[in-house]
Amino acid sequence: MPKLSLFTKCVILFAAVWLFLEFFIGGVWSVPLPASVIGMYLGLILVAILVHVSVEDDRFREFLRPIKETLADDKRRTRCTVLFVLVPLVMLVFTFSKVSTKAEAPASVRIAHPAPPDELTYGDKVIGPIQEVENPFRHLEKDDKDAFRAHAENGRRVYYQNCFYCHGDDLDGEGHFAHGLNPLPANFQDPGIIPNFQESFFFWRISKGGPGLPPSATPWDSAMPVWEDYLTEEEIWDVIIFLSEYTGYKPRTFGEAAH
Amino acid sequence: MNRLFAKKSFIIHIASFLLLPAIITCPLFAQGKSAPAASEAGNLLYIDKCGHCHGIEGAGDGDAAENLLPRPRDFTSGLYKIRSTESGNLPTDQDLFEVISNGMPGSSMPAWKGLLSEDERWSLVAQIKTYFDGFEEASRRVIDLSGKIPYSEESVAKGKTFYAELGCVECHGVLGRGDGTSAPDLTDESGFRSWPANMEHSWNFRGGSATEEIFKRFIGGIAGSPMPAFVSSFRLGLTDAESARIIALEDQDEMTEEEEAEYTQLEEKAYEYEDIMLRIEEGEEITHEEQNKLDEAMKPIFEKSWHLANYVKSLGREGRPPAAVGDKVLRSQYFVGDLPGLNDAAWSEIKEASYFPLVGQVVIEPRQFNPSIDSVTAKSYYNDNEAAFLFEWDDRTKTLPQADDETGETVEDAIAIQFPVKVPKSPSDPKPYFIWGGRRPVYLWHWKVSEPNKITEMNAKGIDKATVQASQSQMQVEGVYEDGRYRLWVKRALKTDDRNDLKFEPETFIPIAFSAWDGANGDVKTKRAISTWYSFVLDPVPSNKRFVYPPVVALISAGLLFGLRKSVRNREKLNQ
Ligand code: HEC
Ligand code: HEC
Ligand code: HEC
Repeated sequence: MPKLSLFTKCVILFAAVWLFLEFFIGGVWSVPLPASVIGMYLGLILVAILVHVSVEDDRFREFLRPIKETLADDKRRTRCTVLFVLVPLVMLVFTFSKVSTKAEAPASVRIAHPAPPDELTYGDKVIGPIQEVENPFRHLEKDDKDAFRAHAENGRRVYYQNCFYCHGDDLDGEGHFAHGLNPLPANFQDPGIIPNFQESFFFWRISKGGPGLPPSATPWDSAMPVWEDYLTEEEIWDVIIFLSEYTGYKPRTFGEAAH
Repeated sequence: MNRLFAKKSFIIHIASFLLLPAIITCPLFAQGKSAPAASEAGNLLYIDKCGHCHGIEGAGDGDAAENLLPRPRDFTSGLYKIRSTESGNLPTDQDLFEVISNGMPGSSMPAWKGLLSEDERWSLVAQIKTYFDGFEEASRRVIDLSGKIPYSEESVAKGKTFYAELGCVECHGVLGRGDGTSAPDLTDESGFRSWPANMEHSWNFRGGSATEEIFKRFIGGIAGSPMPAFVSSFRLGLTDAESARIIALEDQDEMTEEEEAEYTQLEEKAYEYEDIMLRIEEGEEITHEEQNKLDEAMKPIFEKSWHLANYVKSLGREGRPPAAVGDKVLRSQYFVGDLPGLNDAAWSEIKEASYFPLVGQVVIEPRQFNPSIDSVTAKSYYNDNEAAFLFEWDDRTKTLPQADDETGETVEDAIAIQFPVKVPKSPSDPKPYFIWGGRRPVYLWHWKVSEPNKITEMNAKGIDKATVQASQSQMQVEGVYEDGRYRLWVKRALKTDDRNDLKFEPETFIPIAFSAWDGANGDVKTKRAISTWYSFVLDPVPSNKRFVYPPVVALISAGLLFGLRKSVRNREKLNQ
């Protein structure tokens, strides 16, 4: 196999990054990036490539060699002609697609897990500093297994009477109302959610719902209800136990969070 | 003939309806696997994954059941909607496996395919069968699908005529949107309201929208629902007209003498077939000729069903449309001249309307867990002064103001289109709360069916904090209800004098959201179907720049290449 020239390598790298952003993230992962973001990444890659090839004179010459050859070397006549047809053609198509696409809707940037307030409350009642409050029934897991089971079972009831429309039967965020919501309901089977937060964090999220979020988390878009209007404190702690028992994920504890 | 006699033969007929399908389903036996024996593991899995809806004992009374319509199936009833077996029978194991795997679209029954392994799903099939006694001796014959008539325009046209003739219209409406005259009064076997399917929203068909599935629903019926098995509209040995006539006569309380004569004559004609069927029921052997005769008589019914299935298929589409087509935006197109009115053909030039899914408002009490309106679509045009909108949504009933049966509150059909009062300048700018605002107010167009040519402009700072604007701007409005669909046409100036109104400016993205009320579903105030925020934008006025810029850019790039080549060559020459 002939050795690839530096120039070809750079072109391949650039194309690979573009394909990855456009089709892998957009297509396979289905989170299409706005054109401006893709443009930004590609700009960065271009700068990086240019910096890389221009730090040494030799390397820069090596980089430019194929370009010079194509343009000036008479032996490369056909290649030169192809270039002269191809470049204007690509530019033509590219500009045409640019000027005929319509403005894209502004992409909403949203922090899904904002920092909670310092104090945990239920209605007007102050429960305590959010870092320190623990689930008052968690200790039963060791002390009284049956009582703990009963709380988990009560949590199950709470969940299936109130939450599954959105968060889904299997706690995977795919309830029968999920398709009409944006942002989507949280997927508790996602290993990035339950293990990363303390139970008090979930208490805050459940009791204050979407409207309780700070502006960085777009509280005006979230359909998550304010559950302190419907559920007792105990029911909220119970449903948190159910979320962790059903999925098998353990929320963080205070000690871990401090690390 | 007196009435008693008519009743008696009616009973015989009912018996023969039940038999009819027994013969049309040629003795094909269920294919596919059978369930393993019920196991303790299956029972535990059932309790963990299904019990909260279907009840720990399978009686359809789990914790979640109360807020769901249709209710989770009561497995002790032995009634199943999705079957490949004949009317009045139990499903095959394979049927149960399929329905557990694929779920029941349009209801809360989830698809378990991606969540449970194949073995786990089979163990659930076994578990479900334990709740009803009849599975042991159930017939395993399935409906014969071999005579499938391929989809064609011709077949669809035939299906369309049968659709009208066979009384589908009564429930499903002329265009199949579920708005037939009987639609508001239907209940399932447990007395819960049951809405006929909207054929255009075929992604909600419980058994999926494949032609074969639709066909099976006709032949096998949808047990427990008011939808009749299609075969009950036929009498073997009679023509369609004769079948219809004899059924009509049986429904009459009294018959005149001529009618009785006519009835007896028809009965005699059909007797030969009924006799064969009764003998089958009594377990007697029938001859080959008799079997052939039945098959022959049955053929047209099967053919009709295939045509009808093709027709129903033609009304729907594959899958739920993507939300607000493309990038969640309602785009208003620039229109040269006066904006089109409600019935102008110009609207159909916008090929695909933007689709906005609606879900129940389950955030603020009183909540709506079972919305009947599942989406709104919209199209829009604008010119230099005005913008026109066409909003459409399907509602099976036109409900003028009336007292709700349950709550006594005055309900009626209505819709509200919501914008923010202050349009966010950047994506990080706050919007009002998506359910009718809060601290930040929203601007609303409120339309109701009792005043079809008027929109009330309102501002709201919360779902129950809406006020009618003191000064109402001049808007032209026309709302109509046709064949199960509301069509609302609105025209407003791009700019108004009121500062609580919104100004529409080209290329500015304006958040838009919807609320819709179906009076017949008990919707009123907070009980409604809602959407989240989407965007509305006036697309830029089309210009010729797309024909000017690209060639210029191409020429420039060619020029640059030339320049580059020249300078490289010159340099090379110098170097040599
Ligand atoms: C109307 C739909 C809806 C219902 C009902 C609902 N949620 Fe939510 N929930 C959401 C949405 C949408 C989000 C994501 C947006 C957000 O974070 O606010 C969410 C987020 C959450 C989060 C935050 C997860 C995270 O990643 O930080 C928790 C915890 C939660 N929900 C628990 C519950 C519980 C418990 C119930 C029942 C008592 C419930 N939800 C009912 C829609 C709903
Ligand atoms: C969120 C509630 C819910 C859960 C959880 C649920 N179902 Fe269902 N299921 C329903 C509803 C509602 C129906 C009835 C739908 C209808 O009649 O249109 C149904 C119907 C069924 C049917 C009847 C199909 C037919 O042909 O009529 C079967 C079988 C079934 N479910 C099995 C299961 C199994 C097995 C599980 C557990 C893995 C399960 N369901 C979990 C809500 C649920
Ligand atoms: C008495 C009223 C009634 C009549 C007459 C009627 N239907 Fe239905 N139909 C219903 C109801 C109710 C449902 C919803 C069943 C359910 O609960 O899933 C339904 C559902 C359907 C479905 C959807 C099946 C699925 O998988 O969800 C199709 C297709 C259908 N009907 C076609 C027809 C055709 C074709 C006719 C005429 C031959 C007809 N119906 C006559 C009431 C009726």
